[in-house]
Amino acid sequence: MNARAFARQLARESRGARGRLAFFALCLGAGVAGVVAVAGFSAALREGLASEARRLLAGDLRVEGLRPLPEPAARVLAAESGARVASVRELATVVAAPPTSAGAGRSRLVELRAVEGDFPFYGRLTLDPERPLAELLAGDGAVAAPELLSGLGLAVGDSISVGGRPFRLRGVVHAEPDRLGSAFALGPRLYLSGASLDATGLDRLGSRVEHRTLVGLPGDASAARAQELAARVKAALPDPDFHRVETAAQGQPELRRGVDRTERFLGLAALLSLLVGGVGVAQTVRAWLASRLEAIAVWKTLGARPGEIAALYLTQVALLAAAGATAGALAGLALQRALPPLLAGLLPDLPLPAFQPAALARGLALGLGVALLFATPPLAAALRVPAARVLRRDAEPLPLPRAATAALGLALAAGVAAVAALQAGSLAYGTAFAAGLAATAALLAGAARGLIALARRLPRLGLPVPLRWGVAALGRPGAGTLAHVVALGLGALVLVGMATVERNLVRRLDAELPADAPTAFLIDIQPSQWETVRAEIEAAGATRTDSVPVVMARFASIDGRSVRELAASASREEGRRRWALTREQRLTWLERLADDNRVVAGALWSDPERFEVSVEEEFARDLGIRVGSTLVLDVQGVPVELAVTSLRSVRWETFGINFFLVAEPGALDRAPQMRIAAVRLPPGGEQRLRDALAASHPNVTLFAIRDVLEKVVAVLERVGLGIRFVGGFTVVAGAAILAGAVAAGAARRAREVAIGKAIGMTRAQVAALFAAEYGLAGGAGGLIGAVAGTVLAAAVLERGFEIDWRFEPALLAAAAAATALLAILAGLAASLRPLAERPIEALRHE
Amino acid sequence: MSPPPPRLELRQVTKRLRSGERELVVVDRVDLAVAAGEFLAVLGPSGSGKSTLLGLAAGLDRPSEGRVLLDGREIQDLSERELAVMRRGRLGFVFQSFQLLANLTALENVLLPIELAGRARPLEAARGMLAAVGLAERGHHYPAQLSGGEQQRVALARAFAAEPELLLADEPTGNLDGATGALVLELLVRLRAERGATLVLVTHDPEVAARADRRIHLRDGRIESQS
Repeated sequence: MNARAFARQLARESRGARGRLAFFALCLGAGVAGVVAVAGFSAALREGLASEARRLLAGDLRVEGLRPLPEPAARVLAAESGARVASVRELATVVAAPPTSAGAGRSRLVELRAVEGDFPFYGRLTLDPERPLAELLAGDGAVAAPELLSGLGLAVGDSISVGGRPFRLRGVVHAEPDRLGSAFALGPRLYLSGASLDATGLDRLGSRVEHRTLVGLPGDASAARAQELAARVKAALPDPDFHRVETAAQGQPELRRGVDRTERFLGLAALLSLLVGGVGVAQTVRAWLASRLEAIAVWKTLGARPGEIAALYLTQVALLAAAGATAGALAGLALQRALPPLLAGLLPDLPLPAFQPAALARGLALGLGVALLFATPPLAAALRVPAARVLRRDAEPLPLPRAATAALGLALAAGVAAVAALQAGSLAYGTAFAAGLAATAALLAGAARGLIALARRLPRLGLPVPLRWGVAALGRPGAGTLAHVVALGLGALVLVGMATVERNLVRRLDAELPADAPTAFLIDIQPSQWETVRAEIEAAGATRTDSVPVVMARFASIDGRSVRELAASASREEGRRRWALTREQRLTWLERLADDNRVVAGALWSDPERFEVSVEEEFARDLGIRVGSTLVLDVQGVPVELAVTSLRSVRWETFGINFFLVAEPGALDRAPQMRIAAVRLPPGGEQRLRDALAASHPNVTLFAIRDVLEKVVAVLERVGLGIRFVGGFTVVAGAAILAGAVAAGAARRAREVAIGKAIGMTRAQVAALFAAEYGLAGGAGGLIGAVAGTVLAAAVLERGFEIDWRFEPALLAAAAAATALLAILAGLAASLRPLAERPIEALRHE
Repeated sequence: MSPPPPRLELRQVTKRLRSGERELVVVDRVDLAVAAGEFLAVLGPSGSGKSTLLGLAAGLDRPSEGRVLLDGREIQDLSERELAVMRRGRLGFVFQSFQLLANLTALENVLLPIELAGRARPLEAARGMLAAVGLAERGHHYPAQLSGGEQQRVALARAFAAEPELLLADEPTGNLDGATGALVLELLVRLRAERGATLVLVTHDPEVAARADRRIHLRDGRIESQS
């Protein structure tokens, strides 16, 4: 056959099957669109995260420690082209309002921050009036948080005394990019210029001043450059133990995890929709080739070589796949553009994904690969049709040789592994996915064989006619029950897997929604004040009030080794550990743990002999603390020995008051203490309470976190919406493709309808027997697929998302029933025309 | 008392089919009556409208004009459902290409019309029919596992299973070799005679037609002659 004859045949072969072939392209296109859209969306999400992380660090890089930045490190930064440097010093100190006629002015512990340079490089300092910070701080200027003003009874324009020197309040700072409201702030914020701080003499040798050096890299600098610069700065530090070097990418693990989860979910959705597209392709090709069996037999009798026939159909598949994948890729690009506005607010300023030729190419390659992969087995089978088919219509294709079947299976598994690995960016993940899928397919095939054997052996003569025919149809040779059950099962796997992951993820998100979270924290409450403060909290309309005592302490020793010794032995890389060992710890005591705490090892208050402490698990891991460890704490000069009898996991995202260390009641009763409280107030209640407290308990500071809370709620709700949307879309698209696949097979049944009618069956009876057949195959495939989907979802949730999943037997039953129903409806819908047709139409075509 | 109506009667039956722009008259104003118990052979060249005529007689197809009566009852306006119910236990078919249900075993194929007709002891009747066509031992085989001659014998068993009053056969030996065809025809004629069924048989084989009580010759959709 020359090229022109080949091309002509190509066009002719598609005749009469164009609808079916369009469906083929559609299946593939849906999957490819998902892949391309997800790639772009993930990139945008990563970009958005990077800029959010920079904002939260207020720079690309941060060096902090209790000493000024050493000269060699400063030289590295100065030599870095295009880098801007700002330095920030922070210390806690007491400030006071000027004396009044009534006596000395009120005083308050504040977190003083002195800034030199263009702070912040990212994010925004919300100031009132809206002037540059440097301008407000010029001369004797100071800028204070509103809590401080109300606490001291001051206003902008008043004088404030810091370190014994008067400063003029020039503005109010409402929000700082690198500070989220916290129960553990020492006090409200006050800004001074670097020169002003020097003038107060507070930054003397020996005082505890936190030195931060922020670096802003040029706008187009990559995270890798920040990383590389961080390494050089670290290397230049003469004694790296005194400084921590952090890049934006390292910070914000919580946010990173949220974005990782979303990305993984989207990747999974894309992979599964590609897979369900593949199943649709395989079933469509099967149905299409089934209608071409006569033609293939005739081709053979006319002398066409099998290679030529294979080339003809493979080229057809490839052309269609290319068309479908291209259309899908274009749809994916359009979807990329549509998604970010839909999810705007997920991250502030989520950028539009740039045009990504790599993602486009990958989508196209995956689409073509999946199409050829899934089309090959039915094609190989069809080519084995004997030429005798021209004489006897029901001469079925010969079975493939075992070796060929095995080779095809292996190629399919390897192909799926490659697709999954490419999509997930991990060979191990791809292999595991393909292995799980192969196991599921084998299980499905085994179950289908069992079903066929059962259908043959079952004494079906006692069954009502439709059911008998349904059972018989499953068992007859060459019925395609195997492929049907496997396809339905894989479809059910995708749908159930997706639905389970989505439901658990959304459930987790809903649980994380701090619906009952506090909107304000109160600190520095003296124990004797608590009763009257609580009365004022209630008067302000609080719907929830939590309060615990807080004791400040430092570690003295752990399991008999002094902290000094432990800190000295911590290696250079263990800066976090050293920091945790030496910093001041806050403890509380509780009889029972709050709902967001869970004991993961040991038992709470289980040793009647000793005073006990419960430690947060990650904190314990960092410090090498285990159940059975003994901690000695230095509580403001008094050593207190505590036995570790339990470890806890804490869900920090609930915004509740939580501690790394919780002591047994009684252990710290006599230690100097104060109380903190977390309260949930109606809108506006924070200001009312703040004003009331300023008058009655001026030492108490109230931090309002309503803004932060509302932002977090909005983000979580958006994420939930996005996941529901993508999950729902995948499930609906999958169901549609599956229905199409069933329908593709059912269209061949016109002849059976005609015969049934000719011998006196009514339309309803014919429909009933089809329903029985499709229902049985769908129910069996659906059940196995649903079980496999649940296993997949459990693995994905636990490994990929670190979320406990909940088993839902009702979902399994519903999935099996739904698959059966879907198969019945799709099968009947496809049989509508033959059912309505006059029998002669179908019989005439013989 | 009036004489009983003919088993099958066609009055001025016309069937037109659209073929692109053209309208094709496949059956043209045919009048035909077949008495109860009669064996009628329908002869004619390819495309003369034989099979269409058969389809019209069985209610598998609707006439464009004219009336079709079975036992005096007009069937051309019945719904699909009414037609299906009407066929049960009254009409039997044999097709050139057998048209067995591939899903069902030989026995189940034979069983189906008996059960649809609601006859008593259907399994025994089906087994008896298979024995009558000499395939008692092959009941559990699927059509694909049977030879062409065997398949057509199963089809005969199925056609006679519900003891129909009217049997319609469309070139039942057309797909079989001479010897097998003769065997199947012999069986068909014998079964009909035993059960006293009316038989309308479409063929273009004069030897087959010679066994009939009466022959009509079709040409271009019209009855050209009778003998």
